[in-house]
Amino acid sequence: MAHAVISCLHANLAAFQAVLDDIDQQGIKTITCLGDLVGYGPQPNEVVELVRQRAIPTCQGCWDEDIIDGLNACECSYPSQLAERRGHHAHHWTADRLTDDNKAFLAQLPTTLRRDKLLFVHGSPNSQHEYLLPDMNAFAALERVETAGAETLFCGHTHQPYVRELSGGSIRVSVQQRGNEQASEQEMTLPMRRIVNAGSVGEPRHGSTKATYVVHDDNTGDVSIREVDYDVAKTCRAIVEAGLPDVFAWRLSHGFEYAERAEDASHVCER
Amino acid sequence: MERWALVSGLRGDLDLYEQIQADIKKQRGAAHLFVLGDMISPNRNCDALLTRLRRPKRSDLQPNCIYGWWEEQLLVDYGYRGDQKPDVRNKPDGATTMQHLREAVSQDHLNWLASLQFGFIELDCGLIHGSSADVGDPLQETTSPLILLDRLTRLDVNRLFTARSGRQFRLQLTGGQIHSKVKDHAGEEQRDQAVPKRTVIGIGSGENYTLYDPASDRVEFLSVAVRSRRSNLGFG
Amino acid sequence: MQQIWLITGPPGCGKTNWIRETLLNHGGTCAYLRLDGSTKEGLELGHNAGIDQSWLRDQIPQLQDLSDPAPSSQLSSDDHLVLIEAQQFSAPTPSAEGLDPQITQQLQQFNLTPDRTLHFGVDPELPKQDTLDFTKLEAWHLDLQGCVWDPNSLSSFWFELVNGAYGDVYRAKALMNMPDGRSFFCNWMVSQSGSQFLPLQSVVPPTGRPNRPSHLVIQGKGLIPAGIRSTINDCLLSDDVLELQQAPLREQQPNLQPTLPTPA
Repeated sequence: MAHAVISCLHANLAAFQAVLDDIDQQGIKTITCLGDLVGYGPQPNEVVELVRQRAIPTCQGCWDEDIIDGLNACECSYPSQLAERRGHHAHHWTADRLTDDNKAFLAQLPTTLRRDKLLFVHGSPNSQHEYLLPDMNAFAALERVETAGAETLFCGHTHQPYVRELSGGSIRVSVQQRGNEQASEQEMTLPMRRIVNAGSVGEPRHGSTKATYVVHDDNTGDVSIREVDYDVAKTCRAIVEAGLPDVFAWRLSHGFEYAERAEDASHVCER
Repeated sequence: MERWALVSGLRGDLDLYEQIQADIKKQRGAAHLFVLGDMISPNRNCDALLTRLRRPKRSDLQPNCIYGWWEEQLLVDYGYRGDQKPDVRNKPDGATTMQHLREAVSQDHLNWLASLQFGFIELDCGLIHGSSADVGDPLQETTSPLILLDRLTRLDVNRLFTARSGRQFRLQLTGGQIHSKVKDHAGEEQRDQAVPKRTVIGIGSGENYTLYDPASDRVEFLSVAVRSRRSNLGFG
Repeated sequence: MQQIWLITGPPGCGKTNWIRETLLNHGGTCAYLRLDGSTKEGLELGHNAGIDQSWLRDQIPQLQDLSDPAPSSQLSSDDHLVLIEAQQFSAPTPSAEGLDPQITQQLQQFNLTPDRTLHFGVDPELPKQDTLDFTKLEAWHLDLQGCVWDPNSLSSFWFELVNGAYGDVYRAKALMNMPDGRSFFCNWMVSQSGSQFLPLQSVVPPTGRPNRPSHLVIQGKGLIPAGIRSTINDCLLSDDVLELQQAPLREQQPNLQPTLPTPA
């Protein structure tokens, strides 16, 4: 049966509504959200309330966590002072505007969700801040899925949707233990595993302004990446009316991220 | 090139440390000593050993120290890592254990312990107590090769020397591959990736230590005979 | 024999570049002057902030700057070449007698009479550039004396600036200071592909805020100065942060002392 996975809404109500319409039109009843409901965008309360109203199972994203725990991201998150200042401004703006009720909702979100052999996370099973990029070391990518006890791992955080299949894997080792002169040879066959990145509904970074999400069919295993047009200008007007920096509207309307992320995406925040 | 002596799990035992120093001197060509954490424990007073590590005797091989699991417990408890609580406190006798650990280490040593690094990278080798995933990561020869390869990849080293499990072993990745297929809005890309030739070495703990020759890549697992009987090791 | 040439053209056509090449190839002594230029209704001139002078003097250290009131100690050689640059939007018409009156007036202040005048888009001796036909142009500038940029922030800001985040920018040029003591000449024209980021040859020690010209000059339409200022504020390093970045650089050069107050 088909189910939809959405991620990184970033307080963009128009994009979120367009994605929900697209999902509803396909008759899909099950939706899972991978977090980052808020952050940078102009409608944090509206987006959180719509998630709650639709009772969409959601895991906690890095932005959701920062709103609850306070800003303590490590310096590696932003590659420039400008990006950091904008990020912090957006954080404080969002924290000021979110109702206590909506904050309480974000606080109780789990870091992972599991359904059979499907695992849903924001960044990776290790951390809400770890990026699982499509070109990361294939064995390390497999390790993330396998160690978490899943067959398919759904993630977000990068805002660039992809489907990655890791198959035909094996590792051969030679082990020498203390006291044994002879080394023993072993081979481990690796199972086929998949990582599916749902992209971003509210702040796409894949070179287009369209919102993205994925549809997965439990039975056939098929995954499709969906792109949805929405009224970007409406969100841009909302950004300006909300008193957020006008340049946020420019960046969103051109398909750029609000603030650049660090280049070394393989870095895992040590906090 | 001179050999490395790799030691861990001294747990406050100055006698053991002196025995190991003497034993290393008997081996030829060992000039670099790395102490990979767990220099302290709650079971004995550790000040004498810590003082000796910080101010070696002239005849000592100079120790290069990193912090290990017990050091991490102490530093977390004293607030050096923010608001966290040490794992030990979650255990049934956790409060008592932490009290013993605090009593075992004078506060004079805290800043020094806090200044120690998580690990060393030397000549494309990673020297670490557990792994870069966690200081308490107990990598051993039966750990899944997929996890071992991940730990090597995280540090981006060809050899990973680890002490946490206390085991002495040498595990070499000798082959294998994986096929990756990525589909996105731009299209599809496929590639194969081979398992790199890398090694994980468990250096042992306590009286068991390891000599490594970077020039020949030869590993020697050694032990000293323990002079005095040690009491209940407690947690960890 | 001294020669005085006047080089005119619209913003971003390449006057300063051509002047730089000509001066580098010239064997004898040389001098440079940038006039304020000739305005036209609806077309604002880019502020004469000294960017071109600073850039040229960095590239050609022996260049005499005629706008500098201090007399030069250098003697002129027999083949002394004086190049005068002036922004002029429209080409001189064949029937016009003499130079644009605004430019003539500016020349008189320096007591200079050009032996020849070359205008971009007219004279074949000058390279053919895509010179835009401006009907309306706003200008804005910001003095950045003493300001030091976070380098990655400068990249982001410049990208936004030349891609329309703060209005339609047709022309942008600047001298920007980096924390390691380098300064960059940043240059962009809408008709050209890509920006130039050219490091100046002279590098000052990383001992606080540099005392050298730094300025941003922009020409375009629908410019958003408030947005530009706000972003620039987020890009510039405070005293504390500057010291944090410069201290390790100074450790590599032990004789340097900081000039900023030590952070508390």
